[in-house]
Amino acid sequence: MVDLKINGLHVSMPEGSTLLEAARFLGFPIPTLCHMDGLEPYGACRLCVVEIGREPKARLVTACTYPVQEGLEVRTASSRVLRARVMILELLLASCPQSRTIQDLASAHNVRQQRFRQEHEDCILCGRCVRMCKEQMMAGAIGFRGRGENRSIGTPFDLRSEQCRLCGGCIYVCPACQLRCTYNEPEKAICGGCANLSPPCIEKEPFDDMMCYMSPCVACEIPKE
Amino acid sequence: MQRLKSIDDFKALQDRLYTDRDASISSIVISAGTCGQASGANDLIRATKRELLSRGLAERIHLRITGCHGFCEAEPSILVEPQGTFYPRVPVDAIPRIVEAVAHDAVVEDLLSVDPQTGAPIAKQADVPFFRGQVRTLLSRNEKVDPIRISNYIENGGYAAFVQVLERGEPSWVITQIKASGLRGRGGAGFPTGTKWEMLARQPDGRGKIVVCNADEGDPGAYMDRSVLEGNPHSIIEGMLIGAYATGATEGVIYVRNEYPLAIKHLVIALRQCSDLGLLGESILETSFRFDIRLVRGAGAFVCGEETALMRSIEGRMGEPRQRPPFPMQRGIDGRPTVINNVETWANIPVIITEGAERFSQTGTARSGGTKIFSLVGKIRHTGLVEVPMGITIEKIAYDIGGGPRDRGRIKAVQTGGPSGGCIPARMFSLPIDYDSLAEAGSIMGSGGMIVMDESTCMVDVAKYFMRFLKDESCGKCFTCRKGTQRMYEILDDISSGRGTMTQLDLLEELAQVVKDTSMCGLGQSAPNPVLSTLRYFREEYEEHIRDHRCRAMVCKELVGAPCQTACPLGTEAWRYVAHIARGEYEDAYRVIREANPFPSVCARVCSHPCETHCRSGEAGKKPIAIRALKRFITDRIDPSAYRPERKNGAGEEAAKIAIVGSGPAGLTAAHYLSLSGYRVTVFEADDRPGGMLVSGIPSYRLPRGVLQKEIESVIDDRVTLQCKAALGRDITIDGLFEEGFRAVFLAMGAHKSRKLNLEGEDVEGVFPAIQFLKTFNLNGKQSARGRVGVIGGGDSAVDAAGVALRHPEVQNVTIFYRRTRQEMPAQERDVEAVLEEGVTLETLTTPVRILTDHGRLAGIECVRNRLGEIDSSGRRKPVPIPGSEHVVLLDTLIVTIGDIPDIEYMASMGIEVTDWGTIRADKKTLTTSRAGVFAGGDVVTGPNTVVEAIAAGKKAAVMIDRWVRGEELKQPVTPRLPRVYVPPPIDAEEAVEGDRVKAPTVAADSRRRSFEEVELSFSVEQATCEARRCLRCDLEFTEPREDALPSAAAGGAAW
Repeated sequence: MVDLKINGLHVSMPEGSTLLEAARFLGFPIPTLCHMDGLEPYGACRLCVVEIGREPKARLVTACTYPVQEGLEVRTASSRVLRARVMILELLLASCPQSRTIQDLASAHNVRQQRFRQEHEDCILCGRCVRMCKEQMMAGAIGFRGRGENRSIGTPFDLRSEQCRLCGGCIYVCPACQLRCTYNEPEKAICGGCANLSPPCIEKEPFDDMMCYMSPCVACEIPKE
Repeated sequence: MQRLKSIDDFKALQDRLYTDRDASISSIVISAGTCGQASGANDLIRATKRELLSRGLAERIHLRITGCHGFCEAEPSILVEPQGTFYPRVPVDAIPRIVEAVAHDAVVEDLLSVDPQTGAPIAKQADVPFFRGQVRTLLSRNEKVDPIRISNYIENGGYAAFVQVLERGEPSWVITQIKASGLRGRGGAGFPTGTKWEMLARQPDGRGKIVVCNADEGDPGAYMDRSVLEGNPHSIIEGMLIGAYATGATEGVIYVRNEYPLAIKHLVIALRQCSDLGLLGESILETSFRFDIRLVRGAGAFVCGEETALMRSIEGRMGEPRQRPPFPMQRGIDGRPTVINNVETWANIPVIITEGAERFSQTGTARSGGTKIFSLVGKIRHTGLVEVPMGITIEKIAYDIGGGPRDRGRIKAVQTGGPSGGCIPARMFSLPIDYDSLAEAGSIMGSGGMIVMDESTCMVDVAKYFMRFLKDESCGKCFTCRKGTQRMYEILDDISSGRGTMTQLDLLEELAQVVKDTSMCGLGQSAPNPVLSTLRYFREEYEEHIRDHRCRAMVCKELVGAPCQTACPLGTEAWRYVAHIARGEYEDAYRVIREANPFPSVCARVCSHPCETHCRSGEAGKKPIAIRALKRFITDRIDPSAYRPERKNGAGEEAAKIAIVGSGPAGLTAAHYLSLSGYRVTVFEADDRPGGMLVSGIPSYRLPRGVLQKEIESVIDDRVTLQCKAALGRDITIDGLFEEGFRAVFLAMGAHKSRKLNLEGEDVEGVFPAIQFLKTFNLNGKQSARGRVGVIGGGDSAVDAAGVALRHPEVQNVTIFYRRTRQEMPAQERDVEAVLEEGVTLETLTTPVRILTDHGRLAGIECVRNRLGEIDSSGRRKPVPIPGSEHVVLLDTLIVTIGDIPDIEYMASMGIEVTDWGTIRADKKTLTTSRAGVFAGGDVVTGPNTVVEAIAAGKKAAVMIDRWVRGEELKQPVTPRLPRVYVPPPIDAEEAVEGDRVKAPTVAADSRRRSFEEVELSFSVEQATCEARRCLRCDLEFTEPREDALPSAAAGGAAW
């Protein structure tokens, strides 16, 4: 067992567990986005950052990936953590405002506005789908491609992967498209989920020309003609 | 070579190589790294081989082809051993002469490098300033070794350190040595190497440990690892062998980027040689130690230089960093304990073992031992790789080794550590460089890139450049790094194109801080450094971009447009008239010039031409377009009647009376434009004729009086009254002017009082302040200089005074004394050259300390010699007197030109505030003074300045006074002056050959020496067309052909 302190409280965790698990064990809320129980921690969204160590060497790390260490001091809601979280939510809102998950997270942290140029992206590259496909569905049909601003998720050469069984697990776990906000209108049949996989089909009109390789789309159930 | 079977075998080989060596034989060493080959080293090699063979000298003179020696700017270079003669930039046809000289143990003088201060040739490499300040522990080995010959390496003591370690048989001793040496990781983070190794050594063996050489050098502008890989690959292999032995590793990986083909080639050869010789593989030298190295080629992702990403890349997966802990020492490549060190770190290991840890740690600082190679690039005279001890100051690197700024620039900052590093401003150049001090200053050591920036570098643009690099090179895993760099780039792009706001600046800073805080790997954590450090030290540049839409370095395209136009205080569309000249449309060209400037012929002769200084044709070592000479060509050719300014008919308010004090360029320009707007203007002049400094300061051989007179007369029209011999404070007062009914007053009296040396005897006969000397001659024709004349100062008036004095019949010789070097003289380079041609002597680095008198008359001066010392606040090296260098210069006339100030002691009594510098305090943007209705501009506000600045002030005053009289707000919104009128390029433009700058013809130096006739002559039509066609036409990026608008000056695009 490893002893550490979170927000001043002692906790003993088994070796190999993460700070997130320790904090949740004590009941400290830490917002997460790319994290999902049952999937390997990845640390992409950085929303779960916590502060460890003492000044001047204190630093922020992601709770979901950082292993518990003997004697570690963790603060889950210091001003530095909160400032970072708010900025991350602002960046998320600026990129992907239509995701209800992101909207809920933002409003829970009192972020009502973002100060960047508004974009409408359908993917935040959290990698949940990639991990779901590989770790739970044992397929590995999709993966990350490219780097920097050209990074995207998809199949090799955009061809339908033979590994894909059209299970829809990727869409099921997606935080950006799964509960797509429909503003004040009632929820529509079209989830936009398939837009998560480039090239997006949602912008294609009419839908019978969908480029999505899922037919019928698992979430919106529109069959490809 | 035969496989070595034991340590004794190796020693026998070593002995054999030592004895075979004949130290008396001369060697020609040609540096042929990538830099050398790119500059033509391969041709030199071929020529040398041919020459040696054809003359039968192959036995007497050896040829050695090596990697880069560091002085990349001087490539292709030749070093002759054992004499140590160094030839920079050797042309192929010089090879026979060099071979001849080597054969006779002589030197070819004219091919040697030259001392920048004395001009004397320097034969020895060690005496070249670039090499003198360095401690070349690693780089000097590059000169000794042919990288593709292992025998060469062993002959120079190679693999001896490894064999020593092997013989001793104590891995822990190696680690103690490395720890004691104080060596810290050269890749940038500076982790103590010994500690790292110790941690690996302690790990259980398991499936075997791995040592990795990180040769993924991706920083733009940094290439020290490449030169070591190319020049001395065996030193890295030896370092890894020692490291493997010390830590118990059995496998080695060299991860090198595929963009380094030569390095890969040399590494592959070296690895094969080692295997053949039995230095790598199973049971090395028949001991129980086994170790093998494989080469992994990286595909060029910057992030793969990060150790966890590098490990993943070696494993064959996508280069993506991961969370540490676990550290590579615990779980590295394929889960096996791994240690990763930089190329330079590995190369240092054999040095530590051979020389001893203690000796190694004596170099450098207490906290980081040894030397570091920096790659010195950018706006500096000598670029290349410099190896210096840790703890050296930036100043030493930039000025002593790098030779200081290029041309007449001033170094503004140094960027260290590549895209992850930050900028260190010039005022912090005394900072000793080591890992900790740089981190404190907001930068990092990084792998050692050092980019020097001068005034022509825009700091916003620098930050933008690096951010663009990082947003492409971020792996994209961490949301904050991927999106954060994109957003930072977006904001920087907004700022550099004039769309930025002050709130965005705060957002940028906030975002940068969060990206730094929340990113996982070193790339993300250091990505905001370029932004944060430039914001910290150069915030005013950011604000200037946002508030004034101005890029002072003339870089940001959307703000600058055509640099010639933006640089001109008058906003003259230089590109436009140059384009018209290229098309032969001379009248159009004249209209463009005249529209912006009421004194075109004056400016065509004496303008300080900031347009040429910033001309894009003048970049990259080329010459700018001769814009002023082209202007001269037009003004000489076209009658002023080609342009008729629009005149408003003033009535009522607009016919108000305006008083202008001073009839210099500022005053007359204001009068001209106010009169065009309909005002009635009275110009008061203290002297007996108008013109101010134009007539009293500038000698007629530069500005013929007829030309000047014509232009002055042209601006004095029926609404302008000129009243001479009316001086403010003596004949008129400001109160009096307002009482007389003048609505506004513009003060433009200029600066007519010379500053003093503050030396005793300054008032004796024979000593003249510059203004007095020039004025008495130019206005009254009085020739006050005689005999031996000395001029103190380095500005334009010093040069003018010297030129005028030289033309006096009673003068024997003229000497200018300046305290800094010629490079730093504020006077226009061309004018200095002209007077030197005429026979004036220039004594630089000399300061007068005493005036010697004889019976109340000047007898001479005592001077002291200076040397260049520390960098002062202006970014120039301070002249420091050399004790004991005092010497006497006998003189009959001394002219003191160390700056002028306005003669305005009476000002305070008139309710006008004066600055500590003795100038009028006026708002820069509105020209308003502390008294309502009183405006001021020109030299009386700025101190001595250029003609074009004075005209600009007059122009601005006219606008401001007009607004004031109308009761409008004075401040105007600033908008970038971008080219708007399309002038088609000449049809046959593509055929225009790339020629050199055409030099304006001048009267021969000996015939102009005693003459006051104009010196510079006009271009011929061919010359002008040729020169104008050299223009790069920056404007075409902003304009588009329009069918409805014919290109002419009348068709819009007012210059103001």
